[in-house]
Amino acid sequence: MNVEKGKICSMQLFFLFAGFVQGSVLLVDFAIGISESQTWMVILIGLGLAIPFVLSYVALAKRFPGMNVVQINDAVYGRFLGKTLSLYYIFFFLMTLSFNIRDVGELYITFLMPDTSFIFLLVAFSATCAYAVSKGLEVLARISHLIALIGIFVPICTTILLIDQMDFSNFLPLFELPFARMLHGIHIMMAIPFCETLVFLMIMASLDKAEKAKKSILSGLLVGTVSLFIVAVRNTAVLGNTQTIWTSPSFQSTRLIDIGTVLTRMDFLIGIAQTFLIFFKCCLFLYASVTAIAQIFNLKTYIPLVLPVAGIEVILAATVFQSKVDHAEISQNAGIIYSAPLMFLIPPLTLLIAKLRNLPNKGGKNDS
Amino acid sequence: MRKNAAHLVIILLTIFLFSGCLGGREINDLEIVIGMGVDKGQDTQDIIITAQVVKEAEVGRTSDESGGGKAYWNVTGNGKSVFDAIRKVTHKTGNRLFVSHSQVVIFGNDLASEGLQEYIDFFLRAHEMRPTALILIAEDQAADIMDAKPETEKFPAINIVKLVKSYRFTSHFYKVNMKDFVSSLMCETTAPTAPIVKVMEEEGQKNIHIYDMAVFKNDKMVGKLVHEETRGLLWVLGKVESGILLVPYPEDQGLLSLEILKAESKVTPKIENGKIVMHIKIKQESSLAEQSSALNLTTMSVFEKIEKAQSEVIRKEIMTAFEKSKELNADIFGFGRMLHKKYKNEWEKLKDRWDEVYPTIELDIEIEAKIQKTDLLVKPAAPGQKEE
Repeated sequence: MNVEKGKICSMQLFFLFAGFVQGSVLLVDFAIGISESQTWMVILIGLGLAIPFVLSYVALAKRFPGMNVVQINDAVYGRFLGKTLSLYYIFFFLMTLSFNIRDVGELYITFLMPDTSFIFLLVAFSATCAYAVSKGLEVLARISHLIALIGIFVPICTTILLIDQMDFSNFLPLFELPFARMLHGIHIMMAIPFCETLVFLMIMASLDKAEKAKKSILSGLLVGTVSLFIVAVRNTAVLGNTQTIWTSPSFQSTRLIDIGTVLTRMDFLIGIAQTFLIFFKCCLFLYASVTAIAQIFNLKTYIPLVLPVAGIEVILAATVFQSKVDHAEISQNAGIIYSAPLMFLIPPLTLLIAKLRNLPNKGGKNDS
Repeated sequence: MRKNAAHLVIILLTIFLFSGCLGGREINDLEIVIGMGVDKGQDTQDIIITAQVVKEAEVGRTSDESGGGKAYWNVTGNGKSVFDAIRKVTHKTGNRLFVSHSQVVIFGNDLASEGLQEYIDFFLRAHEMRPTALILIAEDQAADIMDAKPETEKFPAINIVKLVKSYRFTSHFYKVNMKDFVSSLMCETTAPTAPIVKVMEEEGQKNIHIYDMAVFKNDKMVGKLVHEETRGLLWVLGKVESGILLVPYPEDQGLLSLEILKAESKVTPKIENGKIVMHIKIKQESSLAEQSSALNLTTMSVFEKIEKAQSEVIRKEIMTAFEKSKELNADIFGFGRMLHKKYKNEWEKLKDRWDEVYPTIELDIEIEAKIQKTDLLVKPAAPGQKEE
C-alpha cells in the first residue's frame, strides 16, 4: 500500500523535475570556487555523466510501477536489508534537506535580511515548506509550473540586461584547471543538481502512466541544465577573474546591472528566484522524507509526520554547522562522499538484482 | 465553527506578533551617504573616513532661501581600519551610515601610494556597497575633494560622478568602478588604473577637475597617464567613445579638429621566434568638425592625406602610452592577460619574469581611419576660395 493517494501526470513530472534541478542554482555559485571559469563545462560534463544514473532511477520506477523506493527495497532485498537501505535513503533526504534549509537562511542573512535572527528565518521557511507538503503531492505538482518558469525567466532576463558587460574572453584559456579540481567539480555537479533527483524515486510511484516517465524526466533535466548553464555563463562572462572572491557571484553580477542609471539594483530578482527554487527543492525533499518514513512504519498517511520532521530539520540546520565556512567545507568534501554510494551504486545495483531475480513477480504473489 | 475561531486566533496573533519590522530603518533615520573619501591621518596613521551625508530637509530648498546652506554634511570618523572609522562616525551622526547609495569612493594619495589592497576590502565586502561604485584617487587628500562645492550640482559627490561620466566626450580619462579595479588588481600582471581628481583654485573658487589616470603596480600607485597617454591606452582597449583629434594638415599650417565617431580595436598576441608581438588593429571613423586652414579639403586626394595624418596621430598616442607603460613597467593594456588566454603553455614560463619581458614586447599597429562626414560645411568660409 502506498502512502500517497494523489496522482500526477507526465507533464507535471516534467515541471517538477525541471524545477527541482534548477533548485540547485545556489550550487552554481558554490561550484565557481572550485571550477572557476570552467563551471559551464563542468555542468555539461556532469549532465552527460549523470544521465545514465538518472535513467537507472527511471528504469527502477518503471520496473516497479506504483511502488516507491522503500517498497522497492523491501521487494528486492527482503525485509531486513531493504529496511536498512531505506533508512540510508531517509538519512540522505533528511541531511540534504537540512543543508538546503541552511542555505536559504544564509542567503537571507547575508543579502536580504541581515538583522533578522537566523533561527526565525529557518522556522518561517520550514513552516511554509511543511504547509505546502501537507497539502499533498498534487498541489506541489501544480505549483511546479510557476516555479520552473520563474527559474528559467530570471536567468534569461538578467543575462539580457548584462549583455553589454559580458566579455566572452573570460572563458579562455579553456583547459587551465588542474585535472583533480575539474574532477571535484564534475563530481559535485553530478551529485547535487542531477543525481539528487533520487528523491523522484519517492514521487514517480504516483505517476499515472509510468511508461511515459523517461521522456518527461529527460526533458526536465535538459531545461534545468539550460537554466544552470545560463547562470554559470553569465557569472563568468560578467565577473571574469573576480568570480571566485564573491560569496554569491549571481548576486554580484546582477548588482552590476545599470541601464541608464534607472534600471539598477536588480538583485532582488535573484533573491526571488533563488527563494522560490530552493523552497521547491526543500518541499520535494521534505515530501520524500516524510513519505519514506511513513512507508517504513506502514502508516496510513504521512500528514502527522510533516510538522515534527520539519521541526527536527530546523534544529538540524541551525546546529549542524558552526559557520558558513564550516558548511562550505563539509559540503564540498564530506557531503558528496556519504551520498555517493546511494546515488551511483545502489539504484543500478537494485535494478540489476531485480533483473536477475526476475522481479516483480508477474504471477501476482507480491502483495505490496 | 471551532475551526473558524482557531483561524481567527491565529490571524490576531499574527497581527500582534509579526507586525514589527525587525531591523527596519525609516527614511528619517537613515544617514544616506552618496560618496566617501578615505585618507590616512598625517600624525596618527589612523584611517580617516569622510562620508558625504545628504541633509534631506535641505534638498528641496533653493540655496537663496536657506542662506546658501549646504545640502550635504561631510562627516568624518577615524579608526584603525576602514570599518572601524565608519562605525565611529555614528558618534557624530547618531545613526549608522547607509552606504547603499554611495556612488563614489575616493582614496587619498597617501593610501594609493602605500597600497590599496587592504583598504578596498570593506567596500567590496559590505553588503550595502555596490560593485558599480566609482573609484577615484585624490591628488592630495580625499577630504578636500569632498568639500569643494560645485556650481551646478548640490552635492560634490554627484558632481564627481557626472565629471567621470563625461569621459565619453574626450576619452581623456576613463570610468573605473570597484569591479573593474578589482578585476585588474586580482590579475597577476595587469596594472589597475583609476582617474585622478584634483581641486583647482580658480579666481577664489574651488573647482573639481578630473585630469589624469593613476597607474598602479600591484596595488601601489606608481605613476600617472596624461590625456594623450590615456587615450592611447583606450584606443588599444577599444574603449574610446569620442573625442577631438587634432591633426596637422600636411600642406598647410592649419590644424584640423576631427571628432571621433566610432572606434573599434582588435588585439591579437603572437609569439614569433621567441619574440612577443601584439598585433593591434584599429578601425576608426571621424567627422571633420573644424578646420583652421582656408583650403578646400573636400576632395578624395586630400581626404586620403588627412586620413593618413589622422592614423599617424592615433599611432603616436598609442606609442606614447606604451612608452610610458614601459617606463613604469606596468602592464596597463593587459597584454599579459591576453597572452595567457592564447598561449597557455608559454605563459607558464613567461609569467614569473613578466617584468623583464614586458619592455621587450613589440607593437604592430594597423590603423584604418576614415572621415565619414564634414558636418554642415563642404568648404570653409574663406575669401578668394579657389577651385583645386
